[in-house]
Amino acid sequence: MPVITVYINGQKISTESGVTILEVCKANNIPMLTLCHLKGLHDIGACRLCLVEIEGVNRLLSGCTTQVADNMMIRTDTDRIKRYQRITVELFFAERNHVCAVCVANGNCELQQAGYAVGLDHIRYPFLYPECNVDTSHPWFVMDHNRCIMCTRCVRVCTQVEGAGNWGVMNRGHDVRIISDFNTPWGESSTCTDCGKCVHACPTGAIWPKAVAQGQLTKYPEMIGELVEKRKLLQ
Amino acid sequence: MKKKLATVWLGGCSGCHMSLLDIDERILEVAKLADIVKCPIVDGKPFPEVDIALVEGSVTSDEHYEEILHIRKQAKVLVALGDCAVMTNITGMRNYFPLQDVMAAAYTHSPSNDGEGMWPNHAALLKLHGKVLPLQSVVTVDVVVPGCPPSADTIFYVLYELLNDRMPDLSTAQKLKYG
Ligand code: SF4
Ligand code: SF4
Ligand code: SF4
Ligand code: FES
Repeated sequence: MPVITVYINGQKISTESGVTILEVCKANNIPMLTLCHLKGLHDIGACRLCLVEIEGVNRLLSGCTTQVADNMMIRTDTDRIKRYQRITVELFFAERNHVCAVCVANGNCELQQAGYAVGLDHIRYPFLYPECNVDTSHPWFVMDHNRCIMCTRCVRVCTQVEGAGNWGVMNRGHDVRIISDFNTPWGESSTCTDCGKCVHACPTGAIWPKAVAQGQLTKYPEMIGELVEKRKLLQ
Repeated sequence: MKKKLATVWLGGCSGCHMSLLDIDERILEVAKLADIVKCPIVDGKPFPEVDIALVEGSVTSDEHYEEILHIRKQAKVLVALGDCAVMTNITGMRNYFPLQDVMAAAYTHSPSNDGEGMWPNHAALLKLHGKVLPLQSVVTVDVVVPGCPPSADTIFYVLYELLNDRMPDLSTAQKLKYG
């Protein structure tokens, strides 16, 4: 890969081409807020938190899905980016039902951490309070749609890493939902291997093992990236 | 001049007030700078004019609605204290269902009721609104303190800043917490 030069927040950086802005930031310890990104999965730019401004481009782009180009002038720290990041996190809270006080993920949730990172102290938009299903049909795991932020990390890990393809996405807009098989109870899935990878990949308290109580959830999402690396060694 | 401080408890569980009491001996610091002129254990009198009002809980009923409008007029600085006040939290979980269904679940179908299925409707009782609201969708809120409950440290920090005429900033003070 040819080596190119990019400028991130004024800092001159040499990097190989064909990598994303997020990868360059990570390699150079430049902080970037992410939620739908998980090492080991293909990035799809779903959460819109990893925003970047690129000179000459009018709209904000997602750093996880935008590849670097020679002499690209990139900013990750502008007020405009911060404003949109805060709005986005507020909308995550407003569009489903997040009651942290009774959530298994309380204190160990990537959505909470994103809220703290953007300085979210309250939500300026009306809460939608949708009626959401809680699927407890699986013998070990629960899928609680109240807390799902539609990052699709579960969908991608199940398809790309486990190869089972249990999870999918149904509908659009406010009605968008993660579904098991063809929108049937998870416990009746003919594709799920009960491997538990989606439990670890999920950044919130939406997917969790039945054996945990409020605030007791521990996840190990890094395991997914490690697994992918180990499998490469076997090939 | 000592400041006037008041606390009130709307649609909440009193947990934020318990957390306020957990500031322990630091209450003496507060008492040096302010008189607590109204709180849930002060009977009777209407909410007085104050410099700072700490409001726990969400707006769930006609009574809370009148009360928060009155408090807004009386308070120079209105603090939304805790997740219920800020984002309705547990008190808002009934918002996913029509009020009739919620009442029926509590008074008709609950295994613990007396079997008669009577819904309380005495004139002296508050009337529940169809939807529970966070404070900021009813009145202007000056300071927001999320947390269920906010820690005693956070509450003391907020009070101490306000009593010294500074605006607390939970984000830079790294004291933001939900749940
Ligand atoms: S998933 Fe996270 S943000 Fe949502 S209720 Fe649980 S702890 Fe709170
Ligand atoms: S447990 Fe494994 S196979 Fe089942 S849905 Fe989750 S990732 Fe897919
Ligand atoms: S269930 Fe979890 S991993 Fe799947 S889309 Fe929702 S938040 Fe993301
Ligand atoms: S991390 Fe890039 S869009 Fe979600």
